[in-house]
Amino acid sequence: MADTTIMRRRDFWTALFLIVVSAFFLYRTSLIPFFRADAAGVQGAWFNSAALVPLGIFSALLLLSFVLLAIAIRDGGATQLLRSKALGFTGGEAERLLCVALILCAYIFLLVPRVDFIACSALLITALIWGFHTGNPVARRLSTLLVLLPALYAGIAHFPRAEWTKPHDDDIATVAAFALLTAVMFAYERRRGPVSRVVRLTPVIAIIVPLLLVIAMAFGFRQNVPNRQGLLFSKIDYHYYVTLKPLWSSR
Amino acid sequence: MEFVSTQIAGFWLAFTDLATDPVTYVYLVASVFLGIVFGALPGLTATLAVTILTGFFSNKFPLEQSLIALIGAYVGAIYGGSYPSILLNIPGTAASAATAMDGYPLTRNGRGGEALGITTTASFIGTLFGTVCLLIFVWVLLLISRNIASPEKALLALFGILLSGTLMSRDLVIKGWISGLIGLAMAMVGLDPILSEDRYTFGWPYLLSGFQIVPVLMGAFAIPQIMDGLRATVMAAQMPRVGRIVPRFAEVLRRLPSITRSGAIGTGVGALPGVGEDVAGWVSYGVGKASSREGGKFGKGSVDGLISAEAANNAAIGGALIPLLVLGIPGSPPAAALLGALKINNVIPGPTIDPALILRVVAILVMASITMFIMGLFTARVFIMILRIPQTVFLPVVMVLTTIGSFSVGGGINDLFLMICVGLFAYAMNVMKYPIAPLVIGAILGGLFDETFRRSLLISDGDPSVFFSRPGAAILLTLNVLLILSQLPVVQRLFTRLTGKKENAA
Repeated sequence: MADTTIMRRRDFWTALFLIVVSAFFLYRTSLIPFFRADAAGVQGAWFNSAALVPLGIFSALLLLSFVLLAIAIRDGGATQLLRSKALGFTGGEAERLLCVALILCAYIFLLVPRVDFIACSALLITALIWGFHTGNPVARRLSTLLVLLPALYAGIAHFPRAEWTKPHDDDIATVAAFALLTAVMFAYERRRGPVSRVVRLTPVIAIIVPLLLVIAMAFGFRQNVPNRQGLLFSKIDYHYYVTLKPLWSSR
Repeated sequence: MEFVSTQIAGFWLAFTDLATDPVTYVYLVASVFLGIVFGALPGLTATLAVTILTGFFSNKFPLEQSLIALIGAYVGAIYGGSYPSILLNIPGTAASAATAMDGYPLTRNGRGGEALGITTTASFIGTLFGTVCLLIFVWVLLLISRNIASPEKALLALFGILLSGTLMSRDLVIKGWISGLIGLAMAMVGLDPILSEDRYTFGWPYLLSGFQIVPVLMGAFAIPQIMDGLRATVMAAQMPRVGRIVPRFAEVLRRLPSITRSGAIGTGVGALPGVGEDVAGWVSYGVGKASSREGGKFGKGSVDGLISAEAANNAAIGGALIPLLVLGIPGSPPAAALLGALKINNVIPGPTIDPALILRVVAILVMASITMFIMGLFTARVFIMILRIPQTVFLPVVMVLTTIGSFSVGGGINDLFLMICVGLFAYAMNVMKYPIAPLVIGAILGGLFDETFRRSLLISDGDPSVFFSRPGAAILLTLNVLLILSQLPVVQRLFTRLTGKKENAA
């Protein structure tokens, strides 16, 4: 199938999506006062309304979406349903992409807010390197599973925001998942033949990178870091202020 | 004459102040090195390098020091993109895509070292050329910008978004415009700048202050790269042999006219709002092909072709900073990240900007280009070794860097949620061939456009003639209209017919 036809097929569906989105936001914009836009003690008129520019933007977006739809239909993009092939991926690539998206979402939405940053980042790095370096589907699926399990546990057991930064068993579960994934990785690779350098270095990178990064950010760049109460970082934080800092600050 | 001597004296003061501070070198060497590494590793970009460092430095460091790190990384990354382009035929950044056209054939002919050496020199001279232009034109434009009021600012912001959408589209131009409109729409979220009206927050207090720039940039530029890099298995490539890297002085002198021409084109294109280094590289390559004596050899391993692309993309850095400093409108996506850093530090670029800051930026650019030149010539083999690191190893590390960088800017976990949502959306846009740069430029300039557009109407009591009764506004409105008209098929057909008739008549 020609590239242009595939692209127009994608455009057909994108245009429909954009039409719905711009219509929805035009409706939302209609809720903002337009002709009597008095607010914050300022007397308003149509040209001062907070809805003026959004109205223009979403109207233009709607118009361009219809133009895109017309182009897509003219170029034969509306003939078939959208399939993974039409998106430009093979089945294997689509699965890889799904696994990457799942791992990234689990990391950002479930692990980072609730679990020690060093532990969850070590798990992420191991999963992404081993799962995607060789392209082995077993490694990829196992990696995804071992990220999703502690992430879902953390998300379900400690869902409320009030529980996010408190130390919990979800930290232990993540460290356990990291250890298990590392062990599985070595066992699996050893069974397949000589263990590659990348695999041998993976646990080192997985531990050293987030550890150094979080220490540099918190104590070097003096920036905020996620989950200061986490299992590992709370110990580092404690020893920095109680054990190390007095060595050079108290005389 | 007095203006020139004052400028030189001011620059010299800023330069000596920087050069005599040992901390400068710590920041410069580290940031230029990091920048080159980011540029050299395919999948990582100059924008990402600057954005990640913005997250690291944000508002806890003095702006003067942050700027050294950010500009150093910017200069290094634009140059670093040439390594994989020349050695592997894989552009490290979009800005160095044109470099691969002649760089890789040179490597295949066993002239990889020569190509790297001349690229380093051209990039160095190109950056200096752009910097000199920045030093001169920023003041000229600052004088003009004092007459720029809300209508001109609104139309200029719109022009930046439209131009970026037009030039960055790889498929239909309409997709670039849609991308720009989505960016503009993103900027509408939160309290509006004039009446503090709540817009599209859906009851989430975090959104009241609108979308933060740094998470949006990280999401738009990092997440799609990570997902795309991990989607396909790419093994580390075999490095070709490179010989002598330091170029011969006579060769550099011989190529100086080409470097200067490309530098001028790069600066000019870089100064266009929202366009940037990648377009600069291609435009200069095209002009070089038409004007160079080696034009016929372009694409087959021409040193002039290599220079055309590389001198231009580095000169575009100075050009991109001109509209940023004078008008607060970034000339390129990495400059947009710099704008984010300036805003975090409560510096609002524009006619009221501190002149000392401009001179410091110029001095930092000069020092960064010198550092890049020295590193490029004498430590190139280190960067060649770094090229051997497979994507699947460094991309997970980049994900962790991005996460902590985005978190530390101020919004905490909510910024991370925003980053991943923007990232997934940007990836979908990438797949559908929508350019990301107009989205980012739109998101950054949307607030300015909204405020100045409505303020113009407020001042004129709702009279839209304010957008064409002032000379500056009339010119900008004409440019906007012409830009839109030029993309309409009817107008294009008419233009082709007219030019066709002229050619036939000739």
